[in-house]
Amino acid sequence: MNDAREAMLGRIRQGLANNRAFLEREALAAPHTPPPFVHPAGDDDLAERFAAELRKLAAHAHLCADHDAARAVLCDILVAAEVRRTLSWALPAIELPGLADDLMRIGVERHDVSIAPTAAERTAHLHELEPATACISGVDALIAESATIVLLSGRGRPRLASLLAPCYIAIARRDQIVRGLGQAIARLQQHAAPDLFADHSSLTFITGPSRTADIEMTLALGVHGPRDVHVIIYG
Amino acid sequence: MATHSIAFHERVDRALDDGSLQTALSRATDRFVTNRANALALVDDFDDLRARGRAIRASALAQLDDVLVRLSERIEARGGQVFWASDGDAARQYIVELARARNVRTIVKSKSMASEEIHLNDALEAAAFTVVETDLGEYIIQLAGETPSHIIAPCIHKTREEISELFQQHLGMPATDDIPTMTRTARTVLRQQFLRADMGISGVNFGVADAGAVVVVENEGNARLTTTAPRIHVAVMGIERVCERLEDLGVLLQLLARSATGQKLSVYTSILSGPRRADEPDGPDEFHLILLDNGRSQIMGGDYAEALLCIRCGACLNACPVYQSIGGHAYGGVYSGPIGAILTPLLQPELRDVHKLPQASSLCGACQSACPVKIAIPDMLLRLRADAVAAGKADAIERIAMAGWSQAMANPALYRAGGKLASLGTRLLAREGRIGWLPPPLDQWTRQRDFPPFAPRSFTELWAERQRRSAGDGQ
Repeated sequence: MNDAREAMLGRIRQGLANNRAFLEREALAAPHTPPPFVHPAGDDDLAERFAAELRKLAAHAHLCADHDAARAVLCDILVAAEVRRTLSWALPAIELPGLADDLMRIGVERHDVSIAPTAAERTAHLHELEPATACISGVDALIAESATIVLLSGRGRPRLASLLAPCYIAIARRDQIVRGLGQAIARLQQHAAPDLFADHSSLTFITGPSRTADIEMTLALGVHGPRDVHVIIYG
Repeated sequence: MATHSIAFHERVDRALDDGSLQTALSRATDRFVTNRANALALVDDFDDLRARGRAIRASALAQLDDVLVRLSERIEARGGQVFWASDGDAARQYIVELARARNVRTIVKSKSMASEEIHLNDALEAAAFTVVETDLGEYIIQLAGETPSHIIAPCIHKTREEISELFQQHLGMPATDDIPTMTRTARTVLRQQFLRADMGISGVNFGVADAGAVVVVENEGNARLTTTAPRIHVAVMGIERVCERLEDLGVLLQLLARSATGQKLSVYTSILSGPRRADEPDGPDEFHLILLDNGRSQIMGGDYAEALLCIRCGACLNACPVYQSIGGHAYGGVYSGPIGAILTPLLQPELRDVHKLPQASSLCGACQSACPVKIAIPDMLLRLRADAVAAGKADAIERIAMAGWSQAMANPALYRAGGKLASLGTRLLAREGRIGWLPPPLDQWTRQRDFPPFAPRSFTELWAERQRRSAGDGQ
C-alpha cells in the first residue's frame, strides 16, 4: 500500500467532477453487451468454418471422425516432423484415451512442466524444456469465426505447453467449438462461475502461428512462439 | 539521436527529405489501411461495435476511481501487488527497488507505450540491470539506439539492409537480406534471454476490474514469454486503460485487432490474473501491477478527457495524411499521429515545440472516421490550437498575419485591395501554374510543397458579374 493511492484517487475524483456528466452520457449512448459473434452467420458447420479460417492463417486443421482417428493424425504429425521431445498438458487433461501408449510406440518423450521456486532451479528447468520440438494441449474452447484456440492455465495445464516449441498441436472435441468471441467468454464464465480466475492465473486466446511484420511489413512466422500450428478436431 | 531537442519544423523537414523513410511509410500505412478496410468489410455492423466500444470505455472512465479500486482489490486478493504511481519517477523507483530487492540481473520487456513514456529503460540501465526489448521491432530500435516511430510497428522507418547491418554488428549474423533468416536470428538470441531473465515487464492493453486481470495483446509470442518465463512479472498500465467486465472484451478485442492490423483477433491475447496458483506448473511467482497516473488525472478534469477513451490501436496514424508524410519521429513524443498530437502536449509537456503538434493536421477528419471509439480528434486539435494562441505561444509571424487578416476581414475595401495584390503577386511568382518559391518567411510553406497562385478574378468579382448577368436574363 502506498500513500499515492489516496492522492491519485482524489485527483481522479476531482477530475471526474468536471467530466463525469459527459462520460455518463456517452456510456448510455449504446448497449454494452458484446455480440455473440460479429461475422454474418450462415448455416455453415462450425468445425468446417474453424478449419477454413485456420487455413487462411497458414495453420493446419484436421477434422477426425473419432478419438482413434485423432490419435492417428497426431502421431502422423509428430513422426513427419521428426519430433522426439514434447511439452504437453498432463495427459488426463487432454482427454484422449490411449495417447500415452501411442507416444511411447512412436518413441516420443513427454516432458512435464514443473517450475521450482528458486531462481536457479527455474532457469535450469527452462533450459531442460527448451529442446522440445513440439507442444501438445487440449483446449477449453475453439472460436470458429476467427480460428481461435482458448486455453485456461491450471493444474496439469502449463502455459508453456502452447508456447515454447516451434510446433504446437491442440486437440479439441467438436462440441467445444463456438461461433464467436462473445459466446466463448459467456461459456467460460458459465462453466467457472462465480470466479473464472479462482484456480486459473491466465486465460489465453491463440489465433494462428506466431507472426511479425516488423521488418519492411513482410510477414514472417514463428518469431517467438510456434510457427507450425495444428488443430485436431474429433467427434 | 534525441529528436525531441530539435525544432518541430526541422524534424518535419528531415522526415520529408528522407527518401527511404517516405517509401517505408507509404508501404506500411497503405498496408495497414487496406488490411483494416478488408477486415471491417466482413463484419456485420462495425459501426454498432464502435458505438458499444465507446460506451464501454466511457462507462469505465465515468467511474474510474471505483473501477481502479475494484481492479486493485481483486488483484491483491489473488496474491498480486498493486503500486499506485503518481508519476514516472515513482514508477521507475518502485521497479528499480523491486529488481534490487529480488537480486534481478536480466529483465525482458514486451512492448509498452507507458514504459516508453516514463523512460523506464534508461532508469533500469542506469541502475546496472540488463534490459532487453523482445518485440522484434522494439529489439531492432533498441540495438539502433532509437525510439519507436509507430504504435503498432515501431521500426517501420528502417530498411531490411539497415536491420541486417545491425544484426551483423551486434549479433554476429552472417551478411544476408533474407527476412526469415533475420527473424530466426532474433528468435535464437532472444530465447536465451527469456530462459535466463529474472523479471519480465509488459504493458497492458486493458485492465478488467471485475475479473481482477490485465489483458496483453500481441502477435509474436514475446509478451507471453515475458509474462510466463521469469519469476517476476511487472505490468505497467496507464490508469485510463480499463474496462469493467470480462465480457467487455467481446467488444474491445474485436475493435482493437481489426483497427490495428486488420486481424480478426491478434495472435495472442493473454488475460492474466495475479501470480501462478499453488498447483499451476508454470507462470510467475510474483505479479506486480503499476497503475500509472503521470498526468492522466489532470486530463480527466480538463477539456480533453475524451482522449482518455483511446485504446492505442494506431488506426488514426495510418489514416492521417500528415502522419503518412512525416512518420512518428517528427512528433517528438512517445505518442505520434493525430492522437499523439493531443496526448503528447498533455502527457509530455516538457518536450520542445509540443504546442505545435496540433498544427500537424489538415483537419480532414480521417482520424475520427477510423477511430474504433469515435474520438473527436479534429475538434480537439482545433481547440488545442486555440489554447496555444490564448497562451501566447503562437509564432510572431503567425500573430502578425492573423492580425492583418482580421483587419482586412473587417474592412471590405482593404480586403478587396489585398486580394488583388495577392492575386497579382502570386501570378508573377508562378511557373507553369505552380509557385515553387516564396520569399521568407513564406518559404516555410514552399520548402516542402508548391503553393497555388490565386485566381485572376476573385469570387466577389465573379459573383457580382453573375448577378448582373442573371438580372439581364430576367429582363
